[in-house]
Amino acid sequence: MSTTQTPTDAAAAKPVPNASRAPGRARELLSALPWLGPSLILIIAVVLYPAGYMIYTAFRKVNKVGFDAGKAGWANFKLALTFPGVDIGHIFVNTFIWVIGVVVCTVVLSLALAQFLNKAFRGRKLVRLAVIVPWAASVVMTTSVFKYGLNPDYGIIDKFLVDIGILSKPYGFTQQQAPAFIVAMIVAIFVSLPFTTYTILAGLQAVPGDVIEAAHVDGAGSTARYFRIVLPILRPALAVAVLINIINVFNSLPILQVLTGSLPGYASDITTTLIFKYKTTLGPGVASALSVVNFLVCLVIIAIYLIVVKPTKER
Amino acid sequence: MKKSIKLAAVTLVGGLALVACGSSSTPAASSSSTSSSSVSSAPSSATAASGSSAAPSSAAPSSGAPSSGGGGSPATGDAGLKSTISILAPSYTDSSKSDWEAIIKGYNALYPGVTVKLQIASWTGFTDVVQTRIQGNDTPDILNDNNFADSAKAGLLYPITDVMSPSTFSTIVPSLAANGKGSDGTQWAAPDIASARIMLYNTALFSQAGITAAPKTWDELLADSKKIAALGNGISGYGMPMGKEEAQVESSLWIWGNKGDWLSGSNIKANSDANIEAFNEMKTFIDAKATQPNPGSSNRQDVADLFNQGKLGMYVTQPGLVADMTKKFPNIKWALAPVPSKDGATPVALGVTDFILAFNNKDATRKAATKAFLDYFYTPDVYNKWSAATGLLPVTTGAITLQEAATPADKPFYEALPTVRYLPQGNPKWSALQDALQANGGSIATSDGKTTLDAIQAQVDAAGLSPGAARPTAAAGAILRPRQQSGPSPAKRTIPRSAHRVPASPSSKGRS
Repeated sequence: MSTTQTPTDAAAAKPVPNASRAPGRARELLSALPWLGPSLILIIAVVLYPAGYMIYTAFRKVNKVGFDAGKAGWANFKLALTFPGVDIGHIFVNTFIWVIGVVVCTVVLSLALAQFLNKAFRGRKLVRLAVIVPWAASVVMTTSVFKYGLNPDYGIIDKFLVDIGILSKPYGFTQQQAPAFIVAMIVAIFVSLPFTTYTILAGLQAVPGDVIEAAHVDGAGSTARYFRIVLPILRPALAVAVLINIINVFNSLPILQVLTGSLPGYASDITTTLIFKYKTTLGPGVASALSVVNFLVCLVIIAIYLIVVKPTKER
Repeated sequence: MKKSIKLAAVTLVGGLALVACGSSSTPAASSSSTSSSSVSSAPSSATAASGSSAAPSSAAPSSGAPSSGGGGSPATGDAGLKSTISILAPSYTDSSKSDWEAIIKGYNALYPGVTVKLQIASWTGFTDVVQTRIQGNDTPDILNDNNFADSAKAGLLYPITDVMSPSTFSTIVPSLAANGKGSDGTQWAAPDIASARIMLYNTALFSQAGITAAPKTWDELLADSKKIAALGNGISGYGMPMGKEEAQVESSLWIWGNKGDWLSGSNIKANSDANIEAFNEMKTFIDAKATQPNPGSSNRQDVADLFNQGKLGMYVTQPGLVADMTKKFPNIKWALAPVPSKDGATPVALGVTDFILAFNNKDATRKAATKAFLDYFYTPDVYNKWSAATGLLPVTTGAITLQEAATPADKPFYEALPTVRYLPQGNPKWSALQDALQANGGSIATSDGKTTLDAIQAQVDAAGLSPGAARPTAAAGAILRPRQQSGPSPAKRTIPRSAHRVPASPSSKGRS
């Protein structure tokens, strides 16, 4: 197929777009369809269909072995929220702490890191490369490294902390719910940093030097320059970074699964990890019901963010 | 402009949220293992088995068929049988895939018209694999699993005797076969592999601590554990794995040691007084620091690791772990002893069997092909080889005789088999109890026996009412028979000694 069409050929092949407005739009959409098609099919196949199936399953009696025994009504939802031993209120509190804690820390650290990486210095490329590493490594792998490193019997991090005198004897960081949850949050921040940093770094590239210079000339100090000029210009980049982080962190399963999945009880579960526990103990029906709840909670968190922060507001 | 950005952002959010949440409904990701009641769920026992397997697998065929009481011998195949069947099996060892493939090859030589599709999955998350296939209407014809009650209750299975010749079924030791009977009295599953648990102790640490004999009662166990822990240097006394993997096994050993039981009739009664007392005893051990650190989150493999490093006095083990230890840690001096109980007189050896299940795919030729396959699978030559490769204990009379001779290290386990007590795997509520024990049993490290067991009982009750616990309806093809009370009681089952042909001397010494 030849791709070397001359402009005149192209004009001749395509009907003039602005001949008449409304039909032109429809035709434009139609001609775009072959290009949109594959991604639409992909979205329908891997996003909408599974989501629809999940909602359908949430209302079915599906037993532990996966056998569908008919309609369940709201019973799955009821059981998901009242299963004894699971303090669902505590789970939601955990979820909020998890999402807000991780995202806020990630963004603050990323802002500093991006600012640093934006400066020209010797070896900057190497440092930028190093920041990517946690992103390139699989999350399960990174988490496992932390898990083994913090093992009280043979963990290298634990041993290091003892050797430099911070701990008097090895501490089982990942053996109890509360410290394990904090470790999981640190790991989550660690793996979220690269993406956030790079999104913000890209935003920083868009800050025009002359504006900064002008502010400098007008007598703005460095704090004022950062908060009144740089940060507002970063708003769109930050908006994307925060939104994607919220969704990612909210749905992050592997970190908590690896670090706290084998601990007894539910004290460090968030809704996402609870879904997986339910799937094996109560079957896919109840797990799907909780997934639907999970989805709604995720929407609520994002709605709160959109309303409170108004990240898309233009100045 | 402002509007369009907002719109774009909202679309992005909605889309991504859907992606993210949608993904949780797919059976991806590593979810926690519930494989634990399997005979061998410890990963390293898998590697271990290959070591012990070499001898019997080569010995088995040469020794010829033992006096197994006439195994089904499908020496004559049927070239006319045309069908496709699928098998789903867990990975016991690294060679599991090739072991099954070898069987399929032999089977196809007899039945060239049958295509056999094999899926091997790791024990970790095996439940999820099974769940996904059943939910996706891709039910395997033959499943090797550690649980059958849920599928039986959902009306998905053939009674196993429908897809096995009586002559084949009779090769299985009756007391083991009884373990595959549902509480409705139907033989839903046939055991294919067995395991026993007994206590392993480090003789070097024992003599260092001045202990002369293995403890028999809980009081002796506690005193000895404290003595060993007093050696210092990070050494612990008794290994108590109450983590996710095997909390149900460890807690069963304790409640049985106190003459308790999980069942009351056919109902689960986890929080009975005897059970609470047993759990409180465990708590006493934990509080006295007689156990390894963090017993609530340790799995049997973690405990085995400690033992292999010489950091643990004793723990309750299984054949795969012993084989692994003798191979990789030859310096550890060890011996095996019965599991202690409260009064020292209650035998509490625990047995586990894994099962072969046959799913009803409503296709007569598939059923015929399944039957032919299972008859071939339990043929002495085929089965001996396969079971030996798993590194665990076989279930047919013939294979037991053969492999007992071939693996002297496993002798104490074979000797324990006659007195072994099984988890109530045939009870449909057992899996709910197992889940609850796995999820909450470890709480005993931080709360008392009553609180822990009440929470477990509450979960079992809720799961029993759960919409997920399907009751077979007419539409679902109710092939369950009216429930009888004469289900397999978890009481001791006795393997006839004759099936064993072992010297009666209880020589449970390991090497030193």
